[in-house]
Amino acid sequence: MSGTGRRNFEKGIRMAIAIGDRLPEASLVGMGEDGPEIVDLAARLAGRKAVVFALPGAYTGPCTTAHVPSFIRTADAFRAKGVDEIICIAVNDPFTLKAWGESTGATAAGITMLGDADGALTHALGMEFTAPQLGLIGRSNRYAVVLEDGVITHANVDEPGTCDISTGEALLATL
Amino acid sequence: MPESAEPRIAVGDQVPDAALLRMGADGPETIRLGERLAGRKVVIFALPGAFTPTCDSAHLPSFIRAKPGFDAKGVDEILCISVNDAHVMRYWGEMSGATKAGITMLADADSRFTKAVGMEFSNPAVGFRDRSRRYAMIVEDGVVTVLNVEEATGQCGISAGETLLAAI
Repeated sequence: MSGTGRRNFEKGIRMAIAIGDRLPEASLVGMGEDGPEIVDLAARLAGRKAVVFALPGAYTGPCTTAHVPSFIRTADAFRAKGVDEIICIAVNDPFTLKAWGESTGATAAGITMLGDADGALTHALGMEFTAPQLGLIGRSNRYAVVLEDGVITHANVDEPGTCDISTGEALLATL
Repeated sequence: MPESAEPRIAVGDQVPDAALLRMGADGPETIRLGERLAGRKVVIFALPGAFTPTCDSAHLPSFIRAKPGFDAKGVDEILCISVNDAHVMRYWGEMSGATKAGITMLADADSRFTKAVGMEFSNPAVGFRDRSRRYAMIVEDGVVTVLNVEEATGQCGISAGETLLAAI
């Protein structure tokens, strides 16, 4: 289930979330003291152990009720396993993610919220999905990975529309 | 650097029809703007994004404050339009008090309406792509009768609720 390559027929690029891979180069947007800040993902991951999980969008049903809380519950256990940072990525802007991080308790739990605002990372990973009737365009399917020095060491990729193996507990169980 | 389009709508123009989204009891619902405007007097205001500083602290509250004044002037509905999804608009409406005040929060998720009126702008540094410039207008039976467009997206002066109210 996890680590399987995915194919984006539209662009003809093969992408994968596979153990041993690096995540693609990406500029994400976080919220700093003085407003939005560009975050170079590769630089952020270099020399560190990190968890990255991604989901369809702030304030969408299952993300709020299941996915984010699962990482709030497991944040301390990940830290006990040597994880330096837990990063939540969604195709949203940093203003929305800041408000969502605060209202869900994710920010208080030490989870970093980063916006893949233009969807470039999500697209490069072949994880994008679009549901126009829901107003969700170029959003992200759910996945969760552990990275050491930027290299994926554990990967749980959910089928579109599900929140099962990409939860905090399921990823933690693989460590 | 931010890049803005030039407005393609003016007083006397028909507001283009568009499919917008609103969060209903069972999830996002499509709202046909044309049907919403037909035979009614409606205020439309648009802004760069939910939870953004100027929108949150100034623009939206100005319409919450001005809502009774618009009611008294015979305005049937106030629509807030932003290039966000319906989930985000719902929560922003609830947290800001706009929904409680009777303002309808509509998502132009694919920016199609915003582009149709030439109001889109992008600013990658803050994660904005094809968002809406800040403007406010009175629409009577689908035709624009007052249009106030903010020059800079970070300002909320001419597009504020009180300013629009003073124009009618």
